[in-house]
Amino acid sequence: MRGSTKKRTLTFCVIAAAALVSAACGSTSSSTPSTSTKAFGVNATGTVHFWARQATDGVAKAMVAGFNASHPHLHVVLHLTQPNEAVTELGTAIRAGSVPDLVGLNDINVPIFSHQNALEDLTPYVNALPYKAALSPGHMKLATTNGHYYGIPYLADLSVLWYNKKLFKEAGLDPNSPPTSYAQILTDAEKIQALGHGIYGFSFAGNCQGCLGFTMLPSIWASGQHLINGPLGTQTANVTNNAPLKDILAFYRQLWAKHLVPLNDQTQNGLTWGKDFESGKVGILPGDYGFAAAFTTPAQKAEFADAPLPAVNGGNYATFDGGDDFVIPKGSSNPSGAWEFVKWVEQTEQQSRYPTLGMTPVRSDVLTPAFQSANAYDAVALHALGHGSVEYTLAYNAVFNVPGSPWFKMFEDAVYNGNMSAAVQEGQSGIQSTLDSVKT
Amino acid sequence: MAKTEVTSSTPATEAAETRRPRRAAPMPSHVRRDARTGMLLVSPALLIVSVFTLFPLAFGVYISLTNWPLVGSYQFIGFANYTSLIHNTLFLQSIVFTLKYTAIVTLPILIVGYALALLVRANRPGATVFRTLVFLPFIVGLTTESYMAVVELQPTSGTANFVLARFGIVKDTTAWLVHTGLAVTAVCTLVVWFAAGLTMMLLMAGMQSIPQELYESARVDGASWWSTERSITIPLLRRAIVLSLIISVVGSFLAFNQFYIMTQGGPGTSTTPVVLSIVNTGFSSFNIGLASAMSVVLIIVVGLISFAQFHFLQRGDR
Repeated sequence: MRGSTKKRTLTFCVIAAAALVSAACGSTSSSTPSTSTKAFGVNATGTVHFWARQATDGVAKAMVAGFNASHPHLHVVLHLTQPNEAVTELGTAIRAGSVPDLVGLNDINVPIFSHQNALEDLTPYVNALPYKAALSPGHMKLATTNGHYYGIPYLADLSVLWYNKKLFKEAGLDPNSPPTSYAQILTDAEKIQALGHGIYGFSFAGNCQGCLGFTMLPSIWASGQHLINGPLGTQTANVTNNAPLKDILAFYRQLWAKHLVPLNDQTQNGLTWGKDFESGKVGILPGDYGFAAAFTTPAQKAEFADAPLPAVNGGNYATFDGGDDFVIPKGSSNPSGAWEFVKWVEQTEQQSRYPTLGMTPVRSDVLTPAFQSANAYDAVALHALGHGSVEYTLAYNAVFNVPGSPWFKMFEDAVYNGNMSAAVQEGQSGIQSTLDSVKT
Repeated sequence: MAKTEVTSSTPATEAAETRRPRRAAPMPSHVRRDARTGMLLVSPALLIVSVFTLFPLAFGVYISLTNWPLVGSYQFIGFANYTSLIHNTLFLQSIVFTLKYTAIVTLPILIVGYALALLVRANRPGATVFRTLVFLPFIVGLTTESYMAVVELQPTSGTANFVLARFGIVKDTTAWLVHTGLAVTAVCTLVVWFAAGLTMMLLMAGMQSIPQELYESARVDGASWWSTERSITIPLLRRAIVLSLIISVVGSFLAFNQFYIMTQGGPGTSTTPVVLSIVNTGFSSFNIGLASAMSVVLIIVVGLISFAQFHFLQRGDR
């Protein structure tokens, strides 16, 4: 307890001290890339200091090692930010006027910095990329402010629907026909549950706010609705009039009330998320493509399959365009070098390595028949990439991820307590007041 | 030396001094040298405290008077953050919860610690092992123990349910950490187990410093065990008791890790202590100015409580 509190306090102090120093100096060093679009990111020299999240260290380490081995004129130095501290660390660095050259930032956090004019405008360089149209739309949306690009997709961490083909077969279901609506999920789960022997039809991370947003929101988006509407500054919560949201909460309520999910799901905070599915005891699990890293044996690969997350009432599918965007903070001492590294990482050769590193490429044109046969699980995720979306807001963490968030309170009350009407009303007011409280 | 000079003055000179402005007597050179040496010796500590405590504190107060975001510009907004706290239901709720939590754990920590200290105050065979075992939870740390508790309190698979269900106290399927009452019970039990060892050590040290002659006299006078405790042990332990109370009250007000790990402040925000509320405001909503104002309020509250406890201690000494 004390360690963490002290750590937070220290961060506070560092921010404060950095701000004072910054104020004393009178300005922060900010400059736009001065070289022309063609020369920018070409034959750069020196060193690029690259910050990546600990959670995505596999890709970061492999890319940095590969780049350094093939680019003797430019050296990339990797720094991994502490879990859940990436935003604070970058904020502190910006306040101190001592920023890294390149950051792999969780894409939902990009607007926090771009709206404060703390990132380089990369619009001309992104527009010059021949594969721009193939880049992840959700990542691009979060990197865009007032029509300008302040980032570019780096890696994708996508949500999919996992299902157990073996259990499907045993329950008399077609193992090659995963559910395409929540009504079908419910009936399939009931049939799988009927197998007994501790088998559960469905599972979810019921005490993990972020996991629930990651897996439930895509089904709402695929149904044509978002929870947050409007431009920043005048955003409104769309809860009480959101039929797909109410439908999916109702389906989760039924799954819970009918005991089609393990009781432990209510306390699952994400630390061991997916382990019950991995043990072969769960039929259907909305989850992360990254779970595939644990499915290593031929038996597991034959048993487990993934599918796109369906719209609540079917007819469409979507995914949460999670993962990271590359951003270049203003004041970067080597933006050209950073962009050279970015362009190299975005090449199909590098992107094709992502599945073995536990992530999904951010370019849909990487999805070739060869890629599909080599990476069956990731091909499903990558196929959904074009249908991916996000909630664009500065308040994503406060609305969805924070413990006690209005999103999670609504989920708890609707699913565990069955108070759908009150939960939705409370969700509307809670999300709205959170949106109103966040500075734009 | 200075004292000698004052006492040697005559009544006449004293009367004269009251009529004319008093001039400070020149300080002897060795006293000045000693003072300089003293200042020199404490200056590193003074510097460290100034840089790492006083300056951040003062700057925190300044930030609390602004709408300071994580990055970007800010404006001075006076006491707006403080006035907004009056209507901030989450903050007020977290203060009420913290007060309740403090009230719940403080007395059990003291009573259990006192009882344990009674058991181990005499140097009987095995006392050292017992002391070590009781003190061990404090050494291991609350963070580790909170993670252990999360595992052991799982429905259907945790040891807690396995044992308690055998006695018919709870069902094997009880989900401790997702119901407010059960979650508070679990956290408080863990904290008492964690902190009682420290209280035991503090009180035991106090007990061992009480002269044995007092107990022997009481025994000769035929005093019962309870009257001996009430008339000798407790009064002479007052300083140790107040110290352990201060530690446990301040620790409860600053409670964070056990809630962050075990309940994440939930269900809803029903088990959110003040520090967690501040952390969420500062590092999830990125409203550093408001979080600083909340921190300043917390510092003042903790300071007032500590001051009151010290005042109580000093009044007793008089």
